[in-house]
Order: sequence, then structure tokens, then C-alpha cells
Amino acid sequence: MGKLYDLLLEDVRFEEGLKACMNCGVCTAICPAAEFYDYDPRKIVDTVQKKDEEEIIELLKSETIWYCGECMSCKTRCPRGNTPGFIIMALRTLSQKLGYFTESEKGRQQLAIKRTVGENIFKYGYCAATYAVNPHMHPEQGPIWEYILENSDDVFERLGGQINGIGTGPLRKIPQEALDELKKIFEVTGGTELFETIEKHSKIKASEMGLQFNSEGTDNDYFVEVYTANNGTHNAHDT
Amino acid sequence: MNIEGKKRIWSDYQKEIADDHFFYVRSCIRQSFFPGSEQFFLNLMRNILKKDVYENPAHTTCTGIAYHSDIVPSATIMTVIARHFALMKESGYKNIAISCVTSFGLYTEILETWKHFPKELEKTREYLFKATGREFDIPENIAHTSDIIYKFRDEIANKAKNTLVNKETGEPLRIVEHIGCHYAKMFPKSGVGGAEFPNVLSGMVEAWGGKVIDYPERRHCCGFGFRQYLVQANRGYSVSNTEKKFSSMKPFMPDMVLTNCPGCTMFMDKWQYTIKEMGGVTYGADGESVPVLTYEELAGLVLGDNPWDLGLQYHMVQSEPLLKKLGLEFDSTDKYKTKNGKQMPIPKNLINV
Amino acid sequence: MMNGYVVVIGGGVAGMEAAGQLAENGCLVTLLEKEDITGGHLNNWHHLFPDRRNGNEVIEYLHKHIEHDNITLLKNTIIDSVENSRNKFIIKTTLGKELNADAIVVATGFDLFRSERKEEYGYGIYDNVLTSADLENRFGTSDLSLKNGELPGRIGFVHCVGSRDEKAGNLYCSKLCCVTAVKQAIELKEYLPESNVFCFYMDMRMGGALYEELYMESQEKYGVNFIRGKVSEVGESFNNKLIVKVEDTLAGRPLKMELDMLVLMAGMEISEGSRKVGLALNLKTGENRFFASIDNHYGSNRSNIKGVFYAGSCTAPMNITETISHARAAVSEVMNYLKKC
Repeated sequence: MGKLYDLLLEDVRFEEGLKACMNCGVCTAICPAAEFYDYDPRKIVDTVQKKDEEEIIELLKSETIWYCGECMSCKTRCPRGNTPGFIIMALRTLSQKLGYFTESEKGRQQLAIKRTVGENIFKYGYCAATYAVNPHMHPEQGPIWEYILENSDDVFERLGGQINGIGTGPLRKIPQEALDELKKIFEVTGGTELFETIEKHSKIKASEMGLQFNSEGTDNDYFVEVYTANNGTHNAHDT
Repeated sequence: MNIEGKKRIWSDYQKEIADDHFFYVRSCIRQSFFPGSEQFFLNLMRNILKKDVYENPAHTTCTGIAYHSDIVPSATIMTVIARHFALMKESGYKNIAISCVTSFGLYTEILETWKHFPKELEKTREYLFKATGREFDIPENIAHTSDIIYKFRDEIANKAKNTLVNKETGEPLRIVEHIGCHYAKMFPKSGVGGAEFPNVLSGMVEAWGGKVIDYPERRHCCGFGFRQYLVQANRGYSVSNTEKKFSSMKPFMPDMVLTNCPGCTMFMDKWQYTIKEMGGVTYGADGESVPVLTYEELAGLVLGDNPWDLGLQYHMVQSEPLLKKLGLEFDSTDKYKTKNGKQMPIPKNLINV
Repeated sequence: MMNGYVVVIGGGVAGMEAAGQLAENGCLVTLLEKEDITGGHLNNWHHLFPDRRNGNEVIEYLHKHIEHDNITLLKNTIIDSVENSRNKFIIKTTLGKELNADAIVVATGFDLFRSERKEEYGYGIYDNVLTSADLENRFGTSDLSLKNGELPGRIGFVHCVGSRDEKAGNLYCSKLCCVTAVKQAIELKEYLPESNVFCFYMDMRMGGALYEELYMESQEKYGVNFIRGKVSEVGESFNNKLIVKVEDTLAGRPLKMELDMLVLMAGMEISEGSRKVGLALNLKTGENRFFASIDNHYGSNRSNIKGVFYAGSCTAPMNITETISHARAAVSEVMNYLKKC
């Protein structure tokens, strides 16, 4: 048993997610990612259960493990009780811990998520909030989104709330003590460490790629690159 | 399609849903995109059904979106959720009402994990105490807010001012129901009706006079995919999955889509706009798009609430075709007015208007 | 010459064969059957693998075998309770009859897995989803039409329905469904030569005599298509076709296929009737819920209760050949036991 497989075993999701795979394919049959990406959850589980150190490293550096949408449709029907989605989560966590995630275009995107959703958690106590969803980064939200942003106080007042209100209500201002507790939880449980790891390896990669990198914010070259770059090779080959 | 077969499955998956004294935890996406829905739920429960629903201002995101984008480790989310259990204990509540489906899936998953891996529960207790000094109990009942509306669907039906019938044809409205993946796919027993033929939304539709439409891609994910949407470069995945669902349901001519998951409602609404922008394709009858509603919005229409107090005007796909079919009287001039009746600007380029 | 009094519970293949052998060996036998006819599942089986002979012929053999003065057949009879003292059994039936036995042969057989439990396949919900048993009945009446009266052009066989499946509650392989699918696929092609027939399998379990040859024949002579993948989900399209989602694991691609008719190869479970008998007699069951013989190799007919023996598929999935052999072995055990009493 290689060292990487042992590391994976330390993740309770991996232990729960991998019993033994008999390659029946029910997971791939209904996987949304398998239809549109060059992705096959069955193959990933089969590879991992071989416990081959080299193949696992390759997975951790690959685009492949970032295609999953974590819908967990693969858990419902597996006849052996596996959950490829959990295995993917364990692989993704390990890939970030070991710094391999910056080897792939999809993996590098983790910085983009950390800088948006991740920082929202610390700043506001929400993963997403109206004021944090920038229409220029989300044109697919349509004209109604910019409208809501421009008129949010009126919109919310009619619908029964007050953004950043004190007390209860939609998008209330979360009390500072609660935000402090959240921050402490992240520190104590390794959440902050993961954020820092993502930043650290992204900074190194930005330097290798010759891209400008700021330690925060979404308007630096490296951020824009990882947020928007798609080299067009990710799709399923036979369509 | 044999309804008796479905009914037998539903009777196998009876889920216990508490009926009062709920600790309410909000959804990040719904607060931002469907605030009217959460407000309707609270009004319905407190003022109409006279139930005790408590919202603790110190509750935060469960970090589910971040967790499923793999930027947050599992120890962290377990502790964040344990903190909510601690708030429940402090406030004296044993039942939790969860507004977001991903969140609901996570609460259920974490409780299962603690059952099978007691060391994880121990670790979480240590972490929470070390970080906040708090202690927690395991709640007695975990319900998604759609479970609760399902539970009270007959009470709502009894007070209905409108039934889900097409007033022009006299036929029940054809309603596509879409259940969020994290509701029952992980633990079928945690969903009303299980994972294959869930009943939580179809039960509401039937109680309120409508007809549920099945179609081949009914169970398919809407395509949120967390990182597949959050990062612009990946959004092709997200829109492709929604496109697949709409193409599949189109021949069945749905009058509307009913969903119970925040992301799903947002994507099935917004991607219809994107797809129409990209290639002019629409999925409703007569070149229209299909209105996508939350279960609170639908319950509100059934109870005769003003659609503009529910927030339907803030979707991309406007609901007028549906309101007309329902024979609902609505005041178009009231759409974009403030609470005090002042005129707001009129947004342009929406769909179905 | 009376060698003992034996009650055989279950009038299917195993029970009938055991009763016949016991009678020929000089025992007095009462054969109990809960239905109105003997023969069990074999009554519904039109043609048998591997040689596709007529199932009726085997039933006729069994009927003749129990036409013996030493055998009393009690139909419509269910056990209520059993008293066990000093190697004698007092069996009470629900109709109030009381029987005394020196030994009991439990031959209560199997039930087919109820395919409604595999909800994602839509049995009982979508039209044109059948079980293998339904299809076999259709062969018997030569009616292969769809719900709308037309004949199917594309038919799929789904292997492992209710077997090898933690989600269905059965981890074991039911052994006989693969060869049944091959047989039925061939028969379907003979009825409908123009049709396209697909078998969706995880493994081809062709472990009996002539099974593998039948598999080859289905491919070479009949053009049955085999796709290696477990069917994940079945849906119904707007024009009532069945949409099947499966991965072709050998090609490594997910497939969505449109079919007219789907046949579910339902697995075998211990019968509901067995459960009640097991409770009455205190019989041990294994993890797979079949009755547990006390030894897997040389004691497969022996139960955990002295004087109670097993015959047939109440112990494990088995085909007719094996069932008849197992029943004969049970009789051998019973005779040895009675000699020592």
C-alpha cells in the first residue's frame, strides 16, 4: 500500500465512499459529468482501488478529478455501496493539500472559488449574497440581476426584509461575534490552513506562468486567467 | 404510467416530519435570489398555521457551497453545523427546518457519518468547544422546508383561493417537479417518497389540483455542479445539463416547473434566458419560456397572495402566462413598486413579456 | 414395510421429488402444499434451459412420481405450528389437521425478487416493463405485444435485478438469471426475427452444463447483442418508448438507448412461506436469508434441528437439475436418520 492511498484512507469520506468496485457502470450511466466531460467515475474508482501510487499521483495532477459536479447521483444506485462523489472529494482535498491541483487548468480554478465564495464566508457569513455576485462575472444571470442590485433595498423591503438589517431577516447582518466564531472554527479545524495552502500554491504557479498575482481580490491577472481559461480539450470524445 | 405503482413506493418511504417548534436556518442563495419565498414560509407558518418558527440571528451559512467546491475541509463543515446544533440547544429547540437542499443533504450526511464513525463526532465536539466554548446535542428531527409545506399541504388546500387548474381548458395544470439532488439521492429514506419517485413536490401539486408530468430526464441533475457554475470557464457543463432537462420535458408541454432547491430554481430560470440569448430556443408552448417557481411561491399563488409580494417579478422568466392560465387577477402596474407604492424603474429584456 | 413417517412441506419440484423417492424407499409420506396445485414455479415455466425442452414434461414426471399409495397429498394446506419432542414432530395445519412425523423435509422453495422494489426500473409504473416470469408466460400464450398492441422492435434484458445489489438488499448472485436471459433472448429472436435484442449484463454467469454453448449460439446464430453494463435507470419518453441509461463499460461510454420492451431478470429469494415455516420450526437462516445448512460441503441437506432436512431452493438459488439432485440427497439423509431412530 502506497503512501498516497494511506493519506486517502485518513479521509472519512474516502473510507465511506470506497468499499470495492465491480465495474458495473451504474454511476457513469447517470453521471451528468460523464455525458459532457471526458470523464468516467467508474474508471476513477477502479484506478484508485488498485492502490497504485503512480496512477494516483497522476489523478491528483489531472483535469479529470475536477469534472465532477458533486450531485451524488452516483451514490443512490451503486450495488456495492460505493460513492464515487465522495472519493472525488477526498482526491480533490488531497490534491490541494499536496499542491498538485495547480498542475491542471481546472484545478487552478480553486483559487477563484476561494477568493469569491471562501472570502464571502469570512466577510459576510454567507457563501453568496446579492452584493457579492458581480454581474460582470455572471452575465448568465440576465438583466434582472443588475436590476435587483441597483434596486436591492426596495426589492428586499417589499419582499419582507432589509439587507444588512440587525436581528433576523433575509441577508441580515451577521453579528461580529458569530463571524468571529466562524473564523475560529476554520482555524481550529484546518479550514484556514486549506485556504492558505490554496493561496500558497497558486502564487507559485502564477509566478511560473508569468502572471501578475495579488494576495487578494478578483482583479488580478492570475485570478482572471483561472476564472476564464478553458483550453477546449475537456469534452467527451465521442458525442 | 401506472399511478398505483408510484403510490406503493410513496407508502414505503414515509418520513417523520416534526409539526411545530422549528429552528429555522436560511439558504444563502434563496436569501439573495428568492427572499420572498423564505418570507412566505415564515408568514405561513407563524401567522396562518400558528406555528413556532424561530430564527436565531447568530446562525451563519453552513458553508455547503464552499464544501462542495472542495475549498472547505469536512472537519470544518461538521463543526460549523455543530455550532448550529449548539445554538439550537441554547435556544431550546429540537427540530430544525432547513431552507436549502444542499444544506439539508449535509445535515443528514453529517449525522449519518457521526453514527458510523463516532470518532468524528468526538472530534467535532472537541473542535467546537475549543473554537467557541459551545456544546451541542443531536437534534430530534431534521426537515427541509419543502417537507414542512408538504406536511401542511392539505391545510393549504383547505384555504386555497386558487386551484392549479387551467381556467381556459378546465384541465389540471401540467407541472414538472424537480427535486434537488441532495434531497434524497444520498439517503433515499430521508426524502418523502424516496429517491426515484419522490413525493414531496408531487404531493403538493396533487393536493392543490394540478397534474404532475413525468419525463425521461426528471431525475437528472439541473447542472449546478458547484464549481461547474461558480467558475465562468466551467459554465458550459451547467447550462448543458439544464438544456438536457428542458429538451426532454418540452414534448410533454409543461405549464411550469416546480423545484425545492435554491440552485435548481435559479438555474432552471436563468439558463432558459441564456439558452434563448444564445440560439433563440425556448421550451414552452408558443415560443414562450417555462416559469420556474419555488414551492413557497406556488403555495402563495394557491392561497391568493399577490404574485408581486412573492417576488415572481424578480425571476428572468416572467410568470404571466402561468398567472393567466390560473385565472389569477393581478395588477401589472403593481409589479415594480416599492412596499409603499412608489414606482421603481421597469427592468428591460425579461422573458415572457 | 414402513420405514417411518415423513412430512414434506412444499409441493414444488423439490418436495415432489423428495416425496416420490421417500415413498419408493418405503416411507409413509404426507406432502403439504399451500396452493391448489403442485409443481410450484415450474408451472409457469414454458421451456427450460439448457436444451429448451418443454417444462410440462418435467411436471408430468413429477406428478407420476407422487402417484404412490404411500403418499398423501394435502393441497391448500399451511402449517400453523410444530411441536418437537423426543424426535417426534406434531404438525398442526391452519385447517385444524394434526400430523405426526418422524422426520420433516422442508422444501418451501423460493420467490422471485419483487421487481417493484427496484424502483428505478419502473416495473408496475411504466408500460412494457416485464419480468422474466411475465415474459415466460407470454411465450406460453404466444403474445409478445406491447401495451398498444404492436410488436416490439427493440427489446432489452436487464440482468441482476435484485441480485448482487446492496441497494436491493441481496448481495448474492441468483445464478440462473443469466442463462435464463440467454434462453429468452433466443426465444424472442425466434418469435421476432427482425427485432433487436440487447442483454445488459455485469458478468455472464454460464456455470452449468451447456450454458456457455447456449450463450455462443445466441450470438452466432441469433445475433443477440451483449452490452456490459448494469442498467442504471429507465424512463418513459413522450411516445411511450423506454429510455434506458447504462454505461457500455467495455467501450467506456455512457449510453442512452430507446427500447420498446424491457425484461427484468428478477433474482431468487427465499419464499415468504419459508419464513413462516422457519419460525414454526426454529430454523436458522444465513445472511442471505435462505435457510442455513449446518455444513456447506457435506451437510447441505441438514438443518440445525435434528430430524428436519432441507430440499431445494429454500437453501440457495438452484436450477431444476440441482433441485432434483438436492431432493434425492435429502431423502438419502432422511433414510439414514430414520435407521438410527
